[in-house]
Amino acid sequence: MASGTPYKPYRHLKTLTAHTRAVSCVKFSNDGTLLASASLDKTVIVWSSQTLSLVHRLVGHSDGVSDLAWSSDSHYICSASDDRTLRIWDARAAATESAHVKTLRGHSDFVFCVNFSPQSNLIVSGSFDETIRIWEVKTGRCLHAIRAHTMPVTSVHFNRDGSLIVSASHDGTCKIWDSSTATLLKTLIDDKVPAVSFAKFSPNGKFILVATLNDTLKLWNYSTGKFLKIYAGHVNRVYCITSTFSVTNGKYIVSGSEDRCVYLWDLQQKTMVQKLEGHSDTVISVTCHPTENKIASAGLDGDRTVRIWAQDS
Amino acid sequence: MNAPIIDPLQGDFPEVIEEYLEHGVMKCIAFNRRGTLLAAGCSDGNCIIWDFETRGIAKELRDKDCIAAITSVCWSKYGHRILVSAADKSLTLWDVVSGERLTRTTLQQTPLQARLNPGSSTPSLCLACPLSSAPMIVDLNTGSTTMLPVSIPDTGNGTVPQSRNKFSDGTPPFTPTAACFNKYGDLIYVGNSKGEILIIDHRTVQVQAMVPVSGSAVVKNIVFSRNGQYLLTNSNDRTIRIYENLLPFKDGLVALDDLDKTLNELDGVEKLKAVGSKCLTLFREFQDSITKMHWKAPCFSGDGEWVIGGSASKGEHKIYIWDRAGHLVKILEGPKEALIDLAWHPVHPIVVSVSLTGFVYIWAKDYTENWSAFAPDFKELEENEEYVEREDEFDLVPETEKVKESDVNEDDEVDILTLEKNSAFSDSDMSQEELCFLPAIPSPDVPERQDKCVESSSKLVDSNQSGSPLSEEAEPNGHTTNHASSPPEEDAGGSRMKRKRKPSEKGLELQAEKVRKPKSSGRLSKVKNKSVVDQDNGNGFHGDDVSD
Repeated sequence: MASGTPYKPYRHLKTLTAHTRAVSCVKFSNDGTLLASASLDKTVIVWSSQTLSLVHRLVGHSDGVSDLAWSSDSHYICSASDDRTLRIWDARAAATESAHVKTLRGHSDFVFCVNFSPQSNLIVSGSFDETIRIWEVKTGRCLHAIRAHTMPVTSVHFNRDGSLIVSASHDGTCKIWDSSTATLLKTLIDDKVPAVSFAKFSPNGKFILVATLNDTLKLWNYSTGKFLKIYAGHVNRVYCITSTFSVTNGKYIVSGSEDRCVYLWDLQQKTMVQKLEGHSDTVISVTCHPTENKIASAGLDGDRTVRIWAQDS
Repeated sequence: MNAPIIDPLQGDFPEVIEEYLEHGVMKCIAFNRRGTLLAAGCSDGNCIIWDFETRGIAKELRDKDCIAAITSVCWSKYGHRILVSAADKSLTLWDVVSGERLTRTTLQQTPLQARLNPGSSTPSLCLACPLSSAPMIVDLNTGSTTMLPVSIPDTGNGTVPQSRNKFSDGTPPFTPTAACFNKYGDLIYVGNSKGEILIIDHRTVQVQAMVPVSGSAVVKNIVFSRNGQYLLTNSNDRTIRIYENLLPFKDGLVALDDLDKTLNELDGVEKLKAVGSKCLTLFREFQDSITKMHWKAPCFSGDGEWVIGGSASKGEHKIYIWDRAGHLVKILEGPKEALIDLAWHPVHPIVVSVSLTGFVYIWAKDYTENWSAFAPDFKELEENEEYVEREDEFDLVPETEKVKESDVNEDDEVDILTLEKNSAFSDSDMSQEELCFLPAIPSPDVPERQDKCVESSSKLVDSNQSGSPLSEEAEPNGHTTNHASSPPEEDAGGSRMKRKRKPSEKGLELQAEKVRKPKSSGRLSKVKNKSVVDQDNGNGFHGDDVSD
């Protein structure tokens, strides 16, 4: 690293147990004040990042929740569920009953992944029905339904200015779409095997981090169509494990793994710098706090907890 | 903010109607600086702000005091304010984010056009062009008006008496005079009824220069391009003329003063003409020599490469597109309704036109997907290329069948944080916060669904296919439900609006012009784009897609 400061390891801070089934997703809000976790127990729980105590339990879905996303102003959460709907919740609602704002209907199978656009006037969702849908937040109207893939869509993400959407699927492809016209702009990966389990734009929108079910994470430059970095050492063969960028104190790639650990790699050197142990099942999702050096991770059914890790100050 | 993979060659000019917006009867439109919001003035005195990305209404500015038709709409430079002029002689200034009315000024005559000073982010001065007198500068805070000179008297040094009853050359004061600010708001360019362009310093109300327009016909419109490099005039002799602006952008006034001093030996009109010749030069003229059409609402494209003009003939909706070199590249034809306003999107190749019936038509390129989009190693070739095969290409056991080496150095530093600057907005003053989007607040679902959410219940599952008023339904195999015959959906939000169901006649007419054909690739036959027909909501309309 250019800075020369030695790497400060993350230590386990707290374990949050409140879900009664596997936790599928954790995300910090963009302002860092709240943490949301989604679970197969059909609920979404909102925690305070500071006190790590439960604030809301959002009930309403009739089947497990696979993914959630925060709006840019941290006011709304959108959850994607196996009951084929997406729900928009008000995270600041005074009472839990009034938190549900809207239900988005249209998918014909499990909704697997969801994200807000950076301006948060659009929501993109990917589903087991092999389509990607773009919704208008204000009215809940579905603006586009794209027949994007030939197998379930595992991941969708907007780039920084909202003009592009990247989608990944079990059919082994990773595609880039123009969000305003819903047309295909580029196919990044097109091998039938392995399945692409996750894709996400870098903070500046120039690179895409792609996870494939052959224990590999790659950082692609999508304009040249070549990958620049490979990160390996973890186990990822079955589940759609999310990974993310950690930029608050040096640049790292953070990912969950099927060997129950959270892996951290140095972005440039590609070397693994730490393995966080503690979960008792696959770590399916990780999220980094936007300003503090904190990581939250979620475990599947054998674990059912959300763990918080922080760097010693 | 153009992603590098969006094909740059596709950024040309629009070809077909992509969608139409409907809400009341809209009369005039204006894009904000980045083209993310579109403001539309209606015949009932309201101003609607459309979110151009979602094609939905972002905000409505309603004024109970104003029920007369809006004649023009103008954004402030960074999108925080909107100035609206109406047929009841009023000028209203609104704050966009709060939706509050800031000032309201009443003039002596109905302003046909009102423009905020582009040089300031919170402008208090505006330029108003009334129906039948000289254009004036209005101070929105005090309400005071300053008339601008519209012609140069034969004697004198260029200042004009403040009377507005008659022009000093005796022409009757009925012809509206066109005027516009230059890019930085320090000069005003006026096109008068004698076919002259006057460059006026609005602070001293002095004519600094004069440029005669060949043909001497009445100037009906005068417009600058977005980058301030070109000026367009639309004259009564059915010709659109393009001038190149020779003055420097930032210090136009200073440059004019310098020119003034260097030409000291000349006097009066001669001097103004000489200075004028150093400010503008005629670049091109456009006219339709066959139909000798009058033009309406001409303007430049966002990058100044194209010029569009609408046909002023009643009963037809034609938009002519020229490139700046003067060649007519396209004529867009819409449904048979007269065109009343036209605007080109600041960034994208999209044109928005307003028809007499109050609809706003959005024209865009006919999007065809590149074949190269379908596979990572597909490349598009402009023309046939000679293929030179590798040395061992036809060998039974080629040498190079070993590991394909990546020609990328994997140890290079990758920068994931720095942003690229957007060249289209190079002059943006980053210290000013620009208003690009209005916050999208999801409107709550109808209450009956809300009480079901306290405990998880199975009732929600089977309501998937029953009519949800707010989301679109498309069958899983890609067919879109034809909403033309289903009853109109009620708007659950309550606060919104009068959305009318379109008679299918209009829908059919537009469908005839729609060109969204299904695109199939040989290899990946299931990769298609589907736009969902959205005929319930009057706001947006996508053409029907043929399913596979």
